[in-house]
Amino acid sequence: MPKHDTPLMDELEKGPWPSFVSDLKRQAEKNPECWDILGQMELSYKDKITHWKHGGIVGVFGYGGGIVGRYSDSPDKFPGVAHFHTVRLNQPSSKFYSTEMLRKVCDLWEKHGSGMTNMHGSTGDMVLLGTRTEELEPLFFDLTHELKWDLGGSGSNLRTPSCCLGKARCEWACYDTQAACHTLTMHYQDEIHRPAFPYKFKFKFSGCANDCVASAARSDFAVIGTWRDNIRINQDEVKKYISGELKAGGGIADSFGAFDIKKDVIGHCPTGCMWMEGGDLKIDDAECTRCMHCINVMPRALRPGVDQGATIMMGAKAPILDGAQLATMVIPFVKPTADNDFEDLIEVIEKAWDWWMEFGKNRERIGETMQRVGLPSFLRVMEVEPIPQHVKEPRCNPYVFWEAAEVEGGWDRDIKEFRERHKM
Amino acid sequence: MALSIEELKAAILEKALNGPKPQLYLKDFYACDPDSKPRVIKKAANEMVTEGKMVFWSSGSTTMYAAKGRAKDEESRGT
Ligand code: SF4
Ligand code: SF4
Repeated sequence: MPKHDTPLMDELEKGPWPSFVSDLKRQAEKNPECWDILGQMELSYKDKITHWKHGGIVGVFGYGGGIVGRYSDSPDKFPGVAHFHTVRLNQPSSKFYSTEMLRKVCDLWEKHGSGMTNMHGSTGDMVLLGTRTEELEPLFFDLTHELKWDLGGSGSNLRTPSCCLGKARCEWACYDTQAACHTLTMHYQDEIHRPAFPYKFKFKFSGCANDCVASAARSDFAVIGTWRDNIRINQDEVKKYISGELKAGGGIADSFGAFDIKKDVIGHCPTGCMWMEGGDLKIDDAECTRCMHCINVMPRALRPGVDQGATIMMGAKAPILDGAQLATMVIPFVKPTADNDFEDLIEVIEKAWDWWMEFGKNRERIGETMQRVGLPSFLRVMEVEPIPQHVKEPRCNPYVFWEAAEVEGGWDRDIKEFRERHKM
Repeated sequence: MALSIEELKAAILEKALNGPKPQLYLKDFYACDPDSKPRVIKKAANEMVTEGKMVFWSSGSTTMYAAKGRAKDEESRGT
């Protein structure tokens, strides 16, 4: 029986799509505090302001992350959500669950919390929505002892790493994203569970430039699969796409009309490095940016090269201080491998962390620190030689600043002596 | 020369107890010993949370430290 009148929320049950309001009402029959979620949201819709307060010292012993304190600012009206803390669970790599584990976690959450979940939060965690402070330690005990499952990251911690399906299901994965994600999650347990940085830091692993976990937009450290040699071309299969025997993009492109290799493949190559010659498709691989477009359209004819690895990009973030920004390519090619426990990635990560922990300002993402000091300075920190692909646009500053080390013979400068002669 | 871990913990606690700000970012403790690396300061501050002398305060997106009893706590305001 509804506890509050919720005409505005009820509107969200209309239409053909699934509704979280219907889900909440169904859950409220079992767990009446869910009526107060609906009541408080209705009030927020009327007042056009949130009635949640967030933050606090809630957590479980020894952990500085994984639980986000949330409280109602109207606990007298909505006692069921007076405390409504969020719990983040570290999802398995690629989010492969057994139904048995999903049932167990749902049962556990109905015992200790609202029963409402968010599958998944934007960082990648499974999110359990809404519990009281006194339930946190019992929940954590059951979670870790019975389900052998751990919390994810929050606050100024390393956030729960996430990865694409990778080699488990995808022929395009250029390295083992799941192994990288799992290995680094285990390696950096302390950084995930206890704050370490000026602000949050996220790793994401995609097996190719299709970037199914949106690492280039949503992580401070994006590892994106690529290859160094040439795209593998099967000219017989190219001809089958041209003749219509094979459907472009597995048939997904049918709605755009008949396949036209010039328009649909060559014309969409961002670097214009493809052409037809005597019935064969040609690629100037030195100019190819490994964007994956042509491979997506003709997967039977084109495949990534065989010398595979990954590009490391850094500094993406959502708009908090300076606005949203995409990642910047920092290391063009590494070969991440479980054979050396991904030490090539670890070396780059720790170099960046040591610098950012020292020079990053409070609440400054590493991308903002990079932007503040400029890419040339950041590349020096990372000990990377600049290459043309690091250049975003032609220079508009006519001055060239040289470091002493870049000039033959260098120079010495005594600023005190200079100021003696040139008073400020 | 860098402080020992126990000296560092004492300096951090002194700042957390008697500094003007009740809640501090990890970086605010760097000044407790300019010779200690940020990772060592992080380790010392986090150990003091485990020892029960300090607490974490988190907004969800960022985390601060406070001496026990000095943090702004929603629950102690009866919510
Ligand atoms: S990012 Fe690439 S490798 Fe990973 S699942 Fe997507 S298409 Fe496959
Ligand atoms: S991968 Fe992208 S850049 Fe490379 S040839 Fe194909 S469409 Fe062009």
